[in-house]
Amino acid sequence: MKKTWPTLFIFLIIASLIGIGLFSGRFMIYLMIRVMLLGIFALGYNLLLGRTGLLSFGHGAFYAAGAYGLGFFSQNVAGHPILGIIIGIAAAALLALIIGFFCVRHTEIYFSMLTLAFGMMVFSLIWNLRGLTGGDDGLVGIMREALSFFGLFKIPIKTDRQFYFLVLAFFLLSTWIVYRLQNSPFGLALAGIRENPNRSEFAGVDVKNYRLSVFVISGAFAGLAGALETLLESNARPFMAHWSHSAEPILVSLLGGLLSFSGPLVGSVFFIAMREIIQRFTENWMLWFGVVLLIVIMGFRGGVVGVIEGLTGKSRKELKE
Amino acid sequence: MGDVILEIKKLNNFFGQVCTATNLDLKIESGVLTSIIGPNGAGKSTLINLITGNLPVQSGTILFKNRDITHLPIHKRVRLGVCRSFQIVNIFPELTVFENILIPILTMAGRSRRFFAKTALEGDCRSQADGVLEKVGLTNRKDTTATALSHGDQRLLEVGVALAVNPSLLFLDEPTAGMNPVERVRLLENIRQLSRDGRTTFVLVEHDMDIVFSLSDRVIVLHRGIILGDGNPEEIRRNEQVREVYLGDSIEQ
Repeated sequence: MKKTWPTLFIFLIIASLIGIGLFSGRFMIYLMIRVMLLGIFALGYNLLLGRTGLLSFGHGAFYAAGAYGLGFFSQNVAGHPILGIIIGIAAAALLALIIGFFCVRHTEIYFSMLTLAFGMMVFSLIWNLRGLTGGDDGLVGIMREALSFFGLFKIPIKTDRQFYFLVLAFFLLSTWIVYRLQNSPFGLALAGIRENPNRSEFAGVDVKNYRLSVFVISGAFAGLAGALETLLESNARPFMAHWSHSAEPILVSLLGGLLSFSGPLVGSVFFIAMREIIQRFTENWMLWFGVVLLIVIMGFRGGVVGVIEGLTGKSRKELKE
Repeated sequence: MGDVILEIKKLNNFFGQVCTATNLDLKIESGVLTSIIGPNGAGKSTLINLITGNLPVQSGTILFKNRDITHLPIHKRVRLGVCRSFQIVNIFPELTVFENILIPILTMAGRSRRFFAKTALEGDCRSQADGVLEKVGLTNRKDTTATALSHGDQRLLEVGVALAVNPSLLFLDEPTAGMNPVERVRLLENIRQLSRDGRTTFVLVEHDMDIVFSLSDRVIVLHRGIILGDGNPEEIRRNEQVREVYLGDSIEQ
């Protein structure tokens, strides 16, 4: 009995995601793809922030590594989207390994500032190496070729509706992986590091190593999101590596709830929806988003998920009485 | 008894002008319940910090089971079997009591690198954790968040997390501070029992002289970074020098 409700809930969500892909209009589909991309980015990122307690301002760099990795591969080697995505993830993970190696030696503000510095270095490299990266134009004209499996059969992803289902597949896969990670012994050790790094060492945990592992994992998810966005927009842009883009998963996680598993996902929905709605009325959408964020941080630390949990928890209590 | 489990040679430590260890030579024998006493600032906590790796060693050597651990990082010393508890509560505050105990057990079993396994299915480790909780008497608080425990229970958990590593040498830094008499007696009884089992050699830092003299096989008196007295409780009680700088004070009060 206890397990039926969440399972049912998950099936409902998956069913409605498939329903959106099949029946809704082009604009809605585009928005949902953006929600899922941000969701993948934020979910991976929150392994680092919410789980391990490390605030990185440099994950835009890994997002861009995924995007440019796929871009280079598709323009110079082969246009196969899945191969391109794998290359993108590998590029992001490698970059995260190199940058992380230096960053995880430090904690708190020093860690954050180092990631910011590395992130901006990657941004200016992309910006200035015009011959390689296209400078401020980025890589343009990246095609969405059909997914072929060893020439046996082909699935086209040309239209946004077809592409939607590829993104949905990666989104569900990422969600499942992150869920498993959080509930594994590794995930528990990460929570221990967040709670008390010194005590973790005295529990025999090699803290630096674990921090580096989770840094690379979250970087890989950022790379996946970046590669998928490049396929969506058919270009890779330098501003993907900009620190303001690195801040997006932080805002999303804060909005949805840092410490809950679904926080970044719920936050992504709210972030994209709010941006769309507010932008109908005013150009300065960041101003109004700032106000909302202020209210969440000052009044509702658990984010949207925290509020919902509080409400349902209360109603459960009332039911008992 | 009698095997030397830990040997310290010519250990020095200074904080600026303050000297907290001067050419310290010390041997800890396996199975001998040892207490370290001394006035505030004597260098007791510093000594533990140096041995367990919380502070870098400036000069000198530390041998654990004849292996040089002087410059090993903390987690490697723990893996070898040297662990400690802290004077202040130093646990994983927002995790449950059970998870607090489970982290060291999973790590020591080499399982905390399992990215994809389900923690809920780690049967061996979970039953080991239950065993530790029973030892420290927190079984009925198992699913409580650690911050929600009373101070005394947090102290018990502190010791529990250290015990969970299943160390062969365990330093307890004022383990009973802040506990009520019932908890204190239970914990000390447990330490005595575990020490007799012979799996773990205990080294205690304590202020309560009743505990020290009733529990210990051996007492070491530290004063300003040097060893002032070393022997069984009776010898320490009779030691003139020790009475002068330390015990004498508390008797006069």
